[in-house]
Amino acid sequence: MELFLMTLVTGLLVGGIYSLVALGWVLIYKCSGVLNLAMGELTLIGAYVTLTFYQMGIPFVLSVLLTLLVGIVLGYMTERIFLDKLIGEPILTVIMLTVGLSFFFKGIIEFLWGTDTRVFTPPIFALKPISIGYLRISPVYLWSFILAIVLLIVFVAFFKYTRWGLSMQATADDETAALSLGVSARFVYAAAWAIAFMSAGVGGALLGNINGVNISVGYLGLLVLPAVVLGGLNSVPGAIVGGIIVGLLENFSGTYLDQYFPGGVKQIMPFAFMAVFLLFRPYGLWGWERIERV
Amino acid sequence: MSSVWLPCGNYHENYVIDQGWWQTRVIKGKMILLLAIVFIGIPLFASEYWVGVATMIGYTAMGAMGVQLLIGYTGLITLGHAAFIAVGAYTSTLLVLQFPWPQFLLDWGLAYPISILIGGLVAGIWSVLFGLPCAKVKGFYLILTTMAAQFITVDFVITQYVSQIGGRGQAFSLPPGTIKIGPWIIDSDVKSYYLMAIMLTLIVIIFANLLRSRPGRAWVAIRDNDIAAEALGINIVWYKLIAFFVAGFMGGLAGAFWVSNTAALSPEHFPWFLSLWLVGVILIGGAGSIHGAIFGSIFMVLIMELLQMAVIPISDYYPQLLINFAYLKDSIFGLAICIFLIYEPNGLAYRWWQIKNYFNLWPFSY
Repeated sequence: MELFLMTLVTGLLVGGIYSLVALGWVLIYKCSGVLNLAMGELTLIGAYVTLTFYQMGIPFVLSVLLTLLVGIVLGYMTERIFLDKLIGEPILTVIMLTVGLSFFFKGIIEFLWGTDTRVFTPPIFALKPISIGYLRISPVYLWSFILAIVLLIVFVAFFKYTRWGLSMQATADDETAALSLGVSARFVYAAAWAIAFMSAGVGGALLGNINGVNISVGYLGLLVLPAVVLGGLNSVPGAIVGGIIVGLLENFSGTYLDQYFPGGVKQIMPFAFMAVFLLFRPYGLWGWERIERV
Repeated sequence: MSSVWLPCGNYHENYVIDQGWWQTRVIKGKMILLLAIVFIGIPLFASEYWVGVATMIGYTAMGAMGVQLLIGYTGLITLGHAAFIAVGAYTSTLLVLQFPWPQFLLDWGLAYPISILIGGLVAGIWSVLFGLPCAKVKGFYLILTTMAAQFITVDFVITQYVSQIGGRGQAFSLPPGTIKIGPWIIDSDVKSYYLMAIMLTLIVIIFANLLRSRPGRAWVAIRDNDIAAEALGINIVWYKLIAFFVAGFMGGLAGAFWVSNTAALSPEHFPWFLSLWLVGVILIGGAGSIHGAIFGSIFMVLIMELLQMAVIPISDYYPQLLINFAYLKDSIFGLAICIFLIYEPNGLAYRWWQIKNYFNLWPFSY
């Protein structure tokens, strides 16, 4: 029972981080229809940039804020340089462009920072686990979760209540109508990419705190894809729930299935579950069903 | 198939000519010349190194054919094709190493050829297994199931279980002499090249013939508009599954060939990178044409070789560059894909088509 509860809590906490990254993904998809496969590399960039700032002696929270700034700049530039030219092209072209971008970013990251695992030194969070009742939770997970949730709320609030957020929603809903009302679609696309870079960057920084920063953080960023598919591609609550489902799946399979299938079952489970789940609910939990006509 | 305008004075007088392989004498001559270059010219005149490069091109092209069939002809985007190449490679290797072959088959050198075919079949069936969701899901959801195929197959099943068979550790190596076709033991670059050239030619012939028969037309119809295709009486799930099978089969053949080239095998030969690389190859070459896949392979492999050559002199001044070259290579590959998608979205095959038409109609092009 204790093991079960521990797994549940850890899964929920890690899932919170995935939710944050998944939110960035869904924002891009909703606003500009781009299916982004470079999400893993965006998390990597975030992790390394935060690490670099932190090693320069800047406090962690400030480094995260600086990462957000870098994220805005990079996201804006990416959209302007690469994706702006492909608006209205077929889906495969845009997807492959993001694949190309992912190679581009990954190569640059490996070129600049190498492939060794780096850790945040000195450690940011205390190593001694916090005890709540008979649960023992590592503070890294708890604080990451809290930070992720705070940012999640900030992003959702931005999306719901600010002028820019509302114009993004309008574009997501009906691009032509939004254009006719004076919303600049190009600005919205750039803003969506900036937010995606920001959320992925912070997600990467937090994930990097848990396991150390190396290329495998990019793989954790890829886990966002099953998350958004489980939730349904164009649903913000779906992304959040999907992220938590992925976190739970990962940890439960790590705890209970690893003894039967030793090796990487933890990493594979979200993908395997997703593939089976799609057979029963082809549009995820809350994705829009596409009605097609000839 | 994008049709080429024929030179002045050539007309299609009946359906057989219209569907013919070689529509004019010039084309026939060109193709025979091409075959002569591939089978005689390159092995005769190229150095061992360039024959190796050509083999690499052929391997990439064989792998890319399956991706071309799925993406370019059926419209099913796949990002996990390396999984099926890996399945073919591992099936073939395990058969050669572990299967109790009857002695006469070994004497006749049939063990490896049979294992190539079985590797292809197993890869095809494995591919259909992951293609099953295509009955219900489309678009991005399907892309993700093919991605799942990659991670489940290579990172989990093969790395954790298949690699352990026989207790050799993760990497397999084939003892010399086991890869034998008839009387020939494949042990040199040139022999490997010949095997590649024969397999690639056969794959192209089979693929091109499939495309101009019933399944091929069904695939193109599904790609262009699947609902309309269904309304025309095409069983789209069935034909999509056939497409998955054939693509997996071709991938499996490529994988089984790869074993003969390296005589060693490890899961690291089939990373997710390879899947994406193959998609990049067909996009740069041009989706929806067989020669596009070949152009793309030639272009990508050559670019990487040339980069390597260019880096070596610079590395005297900046040694870090050579050490981290593999990463730079990834980066340049990514950038190349982006630039091609933005500025040449139809790929090299389209440019080739334009050049050919220009000369076919020259000097009065309208």
